[in-house]
Amino acid sequence: MPDIAFVKPALPRGGALVLCMTEGDPPAGLAREAEDASGGLLSRALEAAGFKGRKGHATTLYGLGPWTRVVAVGLGKAAELSAEAAEAAGGAIAPAVAQEREATVAAEALDPALAAQLGFGAVLRAWRFDRYRTKEKEEDKPKLERLAIATGNAAASKSAFAPLRAVADGVFLARELVSEPPNVLHPVEFAERCKGLERLGVEVEVMGPKELKRLGFGAMLGVAQGSAHEARMVVMQWKGAPRGKKQKPLALIGKGVTFDTGGISIKPAGGMEDMKWDMAGAGAVVGAMAALAGRKAKADVVGLVGLVENMPSGTAQRPGDVVKTASGQTVEVINTDAEGRLVLADVMWYCQDRFDPRGMVDLATLTGAIIIALGHEHAGLFSNDETLAQQVIAAGAAVGEKCWRMPLADAYDKQIKSDIADMKNVGGRPGGSITAAQFLQRFTNGKPWAHLDIAGTAWSSKDAATVPKGATAFGVRLLDRLVAETMEEG
Amino acid sequence: MLKVSFRRAEPDPGLPVVRPVAAVPAGFEVLAAARNFRAQAGQVLEPAAAPRHVFVGTGAWTRRDCETAGAAVVAHLADAPHLQLDARGIAPERACMIAAGAALRAWRFDLHRTRDVRPGPSRLTVLTEDPAAAKDAWEGVVAPVRGCLFARDLVAEPANHLTTKSFVKRLEGLAEHGIHVDVLGRKRLARAGFGALLAVGAGGSTPPLLAVLRWRGSIAAPPVAFVGKGIVFDTGGLSIKPAQGMAAMRADMAGAAACAGAMLSLALRRSPAPAVAVLAIAENATDARSYRPSDVLRTLSGRTVEVVDTDAEGRLVLTDALHYAVDRFRPRAVVDLATLTGAIVSALGHHRAGLFGNDAALTAALAAAGEAVGEALWPMPIGESHRADLASDIADIRQCVPSARGEGGWATRFIPDACHAAAFLREFVGEGVPWAHCDIAGVDTQDAPHPLGPAGPTGFGVRLLDALVAAQFEEEDHHVSP
Repeated sequence: MPDIAFVKPALPRGGALVLCMTEGDPPAGLAREAEDASGGLLSRALEAAGFKGRKGHATTLYGLGPWTRVVAVGLGKAAELSAEAAEAAGGAIAPAVAQEREATVAAEALDPALAAQLGFGAVLRAWRFDRYRTKEKEEDKPKLERLAIATGNAAASKSAFAPLRAVADGVFLARELVSEPPNVLHPVEFAERCKGLERLGVEVEVMGPKELKRLGFGAMLGVAQGSAHEARMVVMQWKGAPRGKKQKPLALIGKGVTFDTGGISIKPAGGMEDMKWDMAGAGAVVGAMAALAGRKAKADVVGLVGLVENMPSGTAQRPGDVVKTASGQTVEVINTDAEGRLVLADVMWYCQDRFDPRGMVDLATLTGAIIIALGHEHAGLFSNDETLAQQVIAAGAAVGEKCWRMPLADAYDKQIKSDIADMKNVGGRPGGSITAAQFLQRFTNGKPWAHLDIAGTAWSSKDAATVPKGATAFGVRLLDRLVAETMEEG
Repeated sequence: MLKVSFRRAEPDPGLPVVRPVAAVPAGFEVLAAARNFRAQAGQVLEPAAAPRHVFVGTGAWTRRDCETAGAAVVAHLADAPHLQLDARGIAPERACMIAAGAALRAWRFDLHRTRDVRPGPSRLTVLTEDPAAAKDAWEGVVAPVRGCLFARDLVAEPANHLTTKSFVKRLEGLAEHGIHVDVLGRKRLARAGFGALLAVGAGGSTPPLLAVLRWRGSIAAPPVAFVGKGIVFDTGGLSIKPAQGMAAMRADMAGAAACAGAMLSLALRRSPAPAVAVLAIAENATDARSYRPSDVLRTLSGRTVEVVDTDAEGRLVLTDALHYAVDRFRPRAVVDLATLTGAIVSALGHHRAGLFGNDAALTAALAAAGEAVGEALWPMPIGESHRADLASDIADIRQCVPSARGEGGWATRFIPDACHAAAFLREFVGEGVPWAHCDIAGVDTQDAPHPLGPAGPTGFGVRLLDALVAAQFEEEDHHVSP
């Protein structure tokens, strides 16, 4: 991961040079100087390459001036500069200079905050998960150690960057957890890693099967009973609200199925390997807690994750089993592959009972149906609270983690009526994501609640501006922004 | 259809009487409490038998509440052939809306039963102080009801009875209400270049046809256009469907039927709004002449389409119909209705149709109309990636995305096909025309009785479009998109 430094504008004498340019404008500032130093070659080369300065576009030129390479990066139109454009530029820079040890970025076109945002985009894009590569060739490894961003007010950029760097660390933690293979990251190991947040000042409690049984977590333990690994629930508390301004906490709840075979209702083999990321909701919650603590958010937030592995075995839960949840409500398990909602049911009920939160936001890779509904650009948002829903949508839109509202209604709730218990855990194919949300709603106890079905957005099959392919950490930035916008005002 | 008449009279003691109430009636508090009757819309309270005298709750007297109440009464008194609605002291408009609900719920399709036809409510006498005023109000209220039932009758017909030809024959019958009907047969379609519609219908036992219905209206404005998918039977073609559930595919023309029903409604109530319906009618059969997966079609718009799956035929016929509607009529707005995708059923189930579009004002107006008439929609996205997914190796666009069944990851099992279909259709509407697409695959038919009808075809869309026109298009200067 490169260090990000903010420096006064000055052309470097060598190494890589990155020029951030607005669309349709002639080179200015350092770019102007580089243009002169290259004897006017720069403009002509850019024109020949078809570079126009469009948002997130990058063109690399070799053999100009004293530099190993010159990368021109587009910011879009000068009048439309935004955090998103700056991040996209940073995201385009990272791969373009990955083979350099150092690069200087001419970013005078950006104000200090946007310059920081550019650095943020660069680190988000530069992240990779190479823990299990043992034979990678030296020339294939990224080498970038330092990205020096030249900006008008380096000190202001530096202080704007600090909290972003903390958020990036939260994103990285989530991506790492999601990327880890399931033989390494089982519930016990996951809980162990949550303990690492104590370094940041987060209070972390880990509960095992004994305590969960005492709390009446029959649904979650039912899911876990086929696994060789014990279940865990982790409760993380960040108490950042200033003294005298104590507030009801916001609760973040994550589904953490470290591997989902489907259980006895076993999944088809093709693509099952992806089920290591069936804990991406929990990963996002842990990442968000790390982000909030890392930037010392002035808010009280609790994060809860339910960690289990869903396996078929002689001790596994069967279709037809009836389990009793922590709320006292009973559930007929029709399909053991609809296990996420069983885990969340107990954790959500416990959460609202213990913390009486101002609101609960749960994240879960819950249904394939949400991909059929929306695809991969939006997470599905379900909520019983108009205000909270709008806040979540706004926070997501601001950070590029888009949510699409989906409906809830009694008519859908009827689909999960059971002949033997208070409800069953699936409502059939029609409206599959909606009936899953209806199920969860029965465990909110009427508290304000938003549910994000992130099955389509947790993992990406291709690179995006600031998100390399693979684990996206969808939700970390959204939750961080939600807290910043709704709890840290004033 | 339920025969509704209006009389100024005392109730006939020999017949069941229904009294609409917005509150628990005086003297019945104990019974109401015991039966949990709170006069909510559609709640029925029957104090004593013979003669049957029932109260029905009307909630807040909204259109939906009144219709729900009327329908509930018919469901409750299902074996009574003749009902009386005691609407004395109730505004005639409200009485009519209750009668409309009753007529919707009383619809049945017994055409193909030859014996033991079960009797049901067939007459409703509305008792009112002012029968003339009530009759006047009824003219407006009954129009969308008739349109809806016209659509239900079409949808209910099995495909050996409702061929492409007999479908247009029935549409031609609408001429008696002042609707101009033009039918384009194979020759005209070929000459004009309806490559998609012709390909989809190539294997059918009766030919593909385009029906164009026009209602002149009375204001000087471009028409609002309805475009309907009218696949009289959908086997899936060479990409044949599994046998189980295929029988339901007789209803794959419900979009076209709804558009036609809406036209009938506008004509019956003499709507001032000019309107046109363009209905793409074909049978998607498995045949030696059927089009194939991998075929490239040239659509009416000139764009070429790669066929991936012959069972995604609805969007193909709609491309030609949409292009024709926009190109020929330059409409103020286009709304298409189609039983288009199974994906919308996975997404929204059977309680809401999917709503897509390129114009926020039009989609908002449709959503509001849907809430008002109890035909609920839910807005769905067309994202950049949905369009990008349709890039074709050989043609301008491909028609859908094949399922990879888990190859390349778990998520490849799940295709956002409803969004893909909407992204596909959008390409054929072009810029500058407000367009909305209603994917009604989950709501065209209900397996169980629903608030405004028995199990079977719902006629979904007729009352929706009628309400949309009434709210948005009956004034010259009122354009839905400012």
